[in-house]
Amino acid sequence: MYIAFMTIGTAPGAPLSPAVFAILLSLAEGEKHGYQMMRDARSPQGGGVQLGPGTLYGSLDRMMRDGLVKETGTSDDERRRYYRLSALGRKALGAELERLNAALASARSLGLIPHGGRR
Amino acid sequence: MTRASQTSPRFEGLYSAALRLYPPVFQEQYADAMRQAFRDALDDGALPRRTLVPLVLRDLATSLFKEHLAMLRDTFSRPALIFNALVLAGISTVLALALYAIPQQVLRQGANDPQLQLAGDLVARLEQGVAPAEAVPAGQVDMARSLSPFVIVYDDRGKMLASQAQLDGSAPAPPDGVFAYVRQNGEERVSWQPRLRSASTRDGKAAVDGSLGAHRGHGLRIAAVVQRVGGAHPGFVLAGRSLEQVEEREAQVEQMAGVAWIAMLGLILMGTVGFGWFSRARAA
Repeated sequence: MYIAFMTIGTAPGAPLSPAVFAILLSLAEGEKHGYQMMRDARSPQGGGVQLGPGTLYGSLDRMMRDGLVKETGTSDDERRRYYRLSALGRKALGAELERLNAALASARSLGLIPHGGRR
Repeated sequence: MTRASQTSPRFEGLYSAALRLYPPVFQEQYADAMRQAFRDALDDGALPRRTLVPLVLRDLATSLFKEHLAMLRDTFSRPALIFNALVLAGISTVLALALYAIPQQVLRQGANDPQLQLAGDLVARLEQGVAPAEAVPAGQVDMARSLSPFVIVYDDRGKMLASQAQLDGSAPAPPDGVFAYVRQNGEERVSWQPRLRSASTRDGKAAVDGSLGAHRGHGLRIAAVVQRVGGAHPGFVLAGRSLEQVEEREAQVEQMAGVAWIAMLGLILMGTVGFGWFSRARAA
């Protein structure tokens, strides 16, 4: 399990923690509530990060302060809170994906993973 | 309510109880949403309970620590709070330095008072033509062991003519330059370490056990007043006495000032922590 640590005031382009990356990636699909993000993060496509409710909402709290996500509302019973990406969050996610892509290309060129697929 | 959550009221109750351990502001904002996410996880058949329970326990441990740390950081890293604490610490440091420096100076300056009178009286007698051996009071003062004031008379070239005091069997001479200064200015007041000039105890470490100043490691120190003698037989008069008692009082003043400084810093720390804690909700 990854333990998420994120500094307050994360600058766009700076490497993101696994939890923050997984949340941003999940919200890239659209507005979601807490457990949907936890489930997405747990899947291999979502980063394979085991997020618990405490880590999730702690990260969301800091991400809102940093302007990466926005809360859009609550469910009718006000128990589920919904979030979406902000423009800054989308930019941060894009920068992180580019960084990972460059690292992946470098790993491929070194023969660490086969070209065009997973080992 | 689904089958999983119907069978897990105890899990949910325990989780709700654990949520009370989060900082109040965080709890107020997210407890309901976290409880709902936990309930959703219980209801989700894709996540076996044997996976969920350890995950939630680890999450509680790490996120409780992180959120309390974040709360403390938000509470105590406020610039105004730190600035006020630093200003108060600076003021208390200046006060503590003054508490030490003012009495220390008063004590040290006061240590010269008897010698000023002794030297003045002796200069007057010598200028009236009284011979040095007669002018100097009878009896010997062992500078290494006695707290009594003493006088020494030197001629114009600095050679000792008569002495009421001895150190290691002879009358020591004052530090270089003292006579030249007194010749120009009439008087000099110095803290004199006579053993530093002695050939046998040049480095001051050979102070005899039990002698004055030995326990402080700097050896014997004398509060000396040197005055110019005019008239037909010019020369110099040195009046001195050990600084032992004065320095002991100075050490006590230093200790008291140090304790006062630490106490003031402690009060500032407690005040800062207390104020930061009680005003944390507004800061969050």
